[in-house]
Amino acid sequence: MIPFMLQHGKSAELRLFPHLLELGMRKNGAILLNTFLTTVTSCIRIYYIIEGKFEWRINHQPYFFYPGDVALILPGVPFGSDNGTLEIGSFTWIHLDMQKLENGYIIPGKWSGLSDSEGATIGKMLSLTSSPVLSRFSEAGKILKCIHTELTGHEIGYQTRVNHQLDELLIKMIRHMTQQGQAHPGRDFPQTFMRLEALLREDLSHQWTVEEMAALVGLGTTLFTEKVKSYSGFSPINYLINIRISEAIKLLKRPDISVTDIALDTGFYSSQHFATTFKKLTGYRPSEFRKNHLSNE
Amino acid sequence: MKCIVTIELGTNGVRIFAFDLDGRVIASMKGYYPSFHTEPDRTEQDPEQIFITTLYVMKNLLNEHIHPKKYKVACVCFSAAMHSVLAVDKNGNPLGNAITWSDNRAKKEAQELRSSALGRSLYAATGTPIHPMSPMLKIAWMRNHDKERFRQTSKFLSIKSYIIQQLTGEYLMDYSIASATGLLNIHSFNWEADALQYAGITAAQLPGLAPIFGSAGKLKKAYQQSLGLPADTKILIGSSDGCLATLGDGVKGEGKATITIEDSGAVRVMGPAVLKDEQMRFFNYVLTEECYVSGGPTNNGGNIFEWFTRQFGDFTNPFDVEQSMQQLIEEASQVPVGSDGLLFLPYLLGERAPLWNANARGAYFGLNIKHERKHFVRAAIEGILYEIYSIGKTLSEQRNIKSLSVNGSFGTIPFCTQLIADMFNKPVRLRRKFHSVSFGAWLLSATEMGIHKTLDQAARTVELPDVYKPNKQHHAVYADYFTVFEKLSTKLSDEFEAISNLQHKHTVTKAFS
Repeated sequence: MIPFMLQHGKSAELRLFPHLLELGMRKNGAILLNTFLTTVTSCIRIYYIIEGKFEWRINHQPYFFYPGDVALILPGVPFGSDNGTLEIGSFTWIHLDMQKLENGYIIPGKWSGLSDSEGATIGKMLSLTSSPVLSRFSEAGKILKCIHTELTGHEIGYQTRVNHQLDELLIKMIRHMTQQGQAHPGRDFPQTFMRLEALLREDLSHQWTVEEMAALVGLGTTLFTEKVKSYSGFSPINYLINIRISEAIKLLKRPDISVTDIALDTGFYSSQHFATTFKKLTGYRPSEFRKNHLSNE
Repeated sequence: MKCIVTIELGTNGVRIFAFDLDGRVIASMKGYYPSFHTEPDRTEQDPEQIFITTLYVMKNLLNEHIHPKKYKVACVCFSAAMHSVLAVDKNGNPLGNAITWSDNRAKKEAQELRSSALGRSLYAATGTPIHPMSPMLKIAWMRNHDKERFRQTSKFLSIKSYIIQQLTGEYLMDYSIASATGLLNIHSFNWEADALQYAGITAAQLPGLAPIFGSAGKLKKAYQQSLGLPADTKILIGSSDGCLATLGDGVKGEGKATITIEDSGAVRVMGPAVLKDEQMRFFNYVLTEECYVSGGPTNNGGNIFEWFTRQFGDFTNPFDVEQSMQQLIEEASQVPVGSDGLLFLPYLLGERAPLWNANARGAYFGLNIKHERKHFVRAAIEGILYEIYSIGKTLSEQRNIKSLSVNGSFGTIPFCTQLIADMFNKPVRLRRKFHSVSFGAWLLSATEMGIHKTLDQAARTVELPDVYKPNKQHHAVYADYFTVFEKLSTKLSDEFEAISNLQHKHTVTKAFS
């Protein structure tokens, strides 16, 4: 691979991809100082190591990177090396602009083919990542190479394929994190569980799957289910139903919101699904329960 | 076949046990519910989540273990953590979350009242130490700082009162929980007028009082159906976790004390008279009209060792706090008794009994060049237990303690239990199989059902099979070091205050996320 650098606003290849801010590959034959300076950007930066060994600081913490490793730098996180030192070796990188939501989470932009909910989950999981190192992740290198080939080849359909590859990169990264269980290494399950609880409550209307929840805390599905069960006494889905019904009860005690809206707001498929689940647990139909609590029984 | 179901509404979740009439466990299940720390000094829980979790766990337990085996539930009995407050409106609907025992928002109110004559007379009348944990102070705080909620409140409940009200429609509070509100006169068993006045409420704003054997009413029809329980299922209001843990260890009667060490800890005795204390160091809670549970609580129990583990434990493997604690305890066991003279003051969270000093802070003392990392580990554990011993020692000024029992996750770690036996120089008994609180609730139910004639008799049947015997030589070493520990903890009072003030002054408060 020959070194290159494409930059948004400078390189014609990127004109159709306003979200793709920079793509590059660098070979470094001698140790250089004042070259790899610490910077902060508002995009996410992904660096894939091809050869050599690099010591970089991400968010002031030092990390070592070896061939096959990926460094993932989130928006607003300082990244560089001490004295701007650049060690011998080669690497390839991409800077990708993400859309920022008011709640601080990021999602891929309109270019992405990901569904809204999957895009949101991926964005959340990226923001929650505690370790910026994805080790032994050679697929990332292949994808970056493929994006470069498409961008320079200009063959029919390349616009679509570049964006596909970007989605592919995001998906593969999240899957890789989940598999190596490093998004949250399970150091402290009670705290992890608290965080999960808060996330679920924030977005209760979302149709959470166990896979998504597991991925949020960076555990495989089986281990996640086991841990949740032993910690909370419930399977993840039942714990979620628990929170849903608790929130629904609060809303039922207010006169100003319809039962159908409550059902959807708290994540049930339909008011029917809500009514069945609610009755099974409490013995009351939601409307009955509401009547009892609004009329000073 | 009949069975008894006990529901324990704890700090981190609900535990439900089913016992047969011989006190054997048929099945148990738990369900977690979270605490929310929305601001510094605040700890709250969602009453609806507690209710739904309780219902859910109960339903699962009955459907999986009780109904299939054709057991008939003869009695359901409640226990709960003390000191919670939940404000509800005229329809009985919660106004915000429940405020739990560890919430510190009323610390200013507590500080002012504690040093006043009114504080002393309220302590003597209500048995509840003047401390932010007290619901009386939390309600007073609400009156001063959360006026809209205070104005809308029709009743101030405890978490248990709310759960019972949901299930049966009755507004009730048992004597034990009531005696931990700071609002009940523990001598007349009525709400204390001066306390009500201080809080700014009337007796009509509190639930009806009931003895611990009292009925909590009948299950509402809907819950009879969803749980599959007949209308005549007896619902006992029960008692508090502290009182029932003491009963569950069979502590009733002269010369016995029980030590509970979970995150926090307490040393308790039971008896027909309250402990009087000029320095207001002890609590006196009501089990029955003839029996008080008295003792001293500490802030610094297993949570301090957990803190130590998080800071200094082994993080190389996929981390699990319990595993790391286990490793540290093995390390500690290689250090000689007394940690070669390294002492640890465990007051990382300030301290309740016996110092009652929120400004108390932690310290290592006596460090010399031969001390190694492992000494710090052992000293941390010894420090936590010296503090438990110091509570026991102040209690023994008024009660002759001959035998001890231990419960709670930290206290029952064998290494810790042995240390307790050695420090107190007394045999220590415990039961590893299940929770003392739930067993206490079983004893209460069994007495109500006539299986035991009196609570006394019920308590006498308790057998704690595992015994740790004290080692005299070890005791001598601990006794020597304890004299220094005790002196330090009182001598440093001025410095505690100074450092705590400086910590407030120089610590940039982080924005709470």
